[in-house]
Amino acid sequence: MPKRSFLDLDQWMERYQQADPEAPVALVAALSPALLRFFKGQVATREQADDLLQDTWLRIHRVRHTYRPGEPVLPWVYAIARRVRVDGYRRTRRITVHETAVEVLPERAAPVARNPLPSFATLVAVLPDAQREVVTMLKVGGLSLEEVARATSSTVGAVKQKAHRAYDRLRKLLQSSAGDGQGELNELQ
Amino acid sequence: MNCNEVTDALIEKSASTPLSSQAEEHLRGCKHCQEFVRMLNEPVSLDSPSPAILGQIEQRIVADLRPVRPLLPARYFFAVMVGIFFSIVALVGYRMGAALSVGFMSPLQAGVILSALAAGAGSLAYSLVHQMVPGDRHRIPPALLAASIVISLAIAIVVMFQFQHERNFWGGSWTCLRAGLTIGVFAAVPFWLVLRRGAILTPPLTGAATGLLAGLVGTSVLEMHCPNLDAWHILVSHLGVAVLCSVAGLAAGLATGIMGRRLVHRK
Repeated sequence: MPKRSFLDLDQWMERYQQADPEAPVALVAALSPALLRFFKGQVATREQADDLLQDTWLRIHRVRHTYRPGEPVLPWVYAIARRVRVDGYRRTRRITVHETAVEVLPERAAPVARNPLPSFATLVAVLPDAQREVVTMLKVGGLSLEEVARATSSTVGAVKQKAHRAYDRLRKLLQSSAGDGQGELNELQ
Repeated sequence: MNCNEVTDALIEKSASTPLSSQAEEHLRGCKHCQEFVRMLNEPVSLDSPSPAILGQIEQRIVADLRPVRPLLPARYFFAVMVGIFFSIVALVGYRMGAALSVGFMSPLQAGVILSALAAGAGSLAYSLVHQMVPGDRHRIPPALLAASIVISLAIAIVVMFQFQHERNFWGGSWTCLRAGLTIGVFAAVPFWLVLRRGAILTPPLTGAATGLLAGLVGTSVLEMHCPNLDAWHILVSHLGVAVLCSVAGLAAGLATGIMGRRLVHRK
């Protein structure tokens, strides 16, 4: 996501606080695709991701007074989205614990045809949650290291460390997929 | 420059700074790094949410749209939190009326322990004020800060006071714990009233930090009024007040979080 598309976000946020009806429409349109991508990496279905997106916007609306004009918008939005995701995960887990397992498992999808270079999305899916979150915010959300640190209530050093580990893992996956044919990636698919 | 250093450079590049000339030079000669950079630079496909979902979101927001006043700058809330802390310490101290036990301590003991308490309270107030705003800057992660304050205070007590054997240890401790916990509960109310003006995203963490700050009010009052200078007594019944209040805050935060999720689920 190119950074320049977020340039006016702080102005839209200020107008949103002043109850300009155009502002929430512009913000929802500008931020929702990246937020949806952020959720899709973490949940099983598109419906769940859509639910989380709606929950995020409703929570943003409820706490819009906590945005301070002049501050970066993205860490504020992603901090809320991150919390919605955690709450959604806990809620889903509580529901699935009480669900009864079906006797016949649905058939697994046929393996995807081998690709010489796996996509970013395929590779990132292998990463642990914390690393995937950081890489997604950096690459998909277009946040800077400082902004990711703010969104995750962390420090820039800790974010760099997570990003470094994630990039190391991605490098290894990329090399192994180029060499022996997607061993670890195929296990996940 | 090796591949590992190029990884660091690529992470820094995320912060919209260009790659260094050494990194560029390495990239020209390293096939692995070239592939990795190509993968990173590939545009990520973003599925747009369905127009129906976007429409629903916009409709719900616009229907409830009214002007809101942005939160005041953090320094105002910080001043209020610190003001509450010192006001309650002074007020309760005045109500307790007894002579200050600070006189029983050496100047070094009094200076170190009261400075440590004031520094701990100030840092917690600062952290809490930043927890009120999503995505605000944290110089120290909040969980780490709370733990380090308790550990620092315990070290200060162990270093500055002597361990003695008391006959009625638990009787004396209970008196101080009861008084300190009452003060802590009383102090938690105004802190909570300030915090609820913001958006608390992690109620357990904020609850624990608020409980610790309220507990430190009790600890400070006890430090100034209890004449018992035994290190065991101070650790268990003075610092214990702060720890117990923090645990109570954590429990309250967990309960709030669970109730909040259930409410959202019902809606």
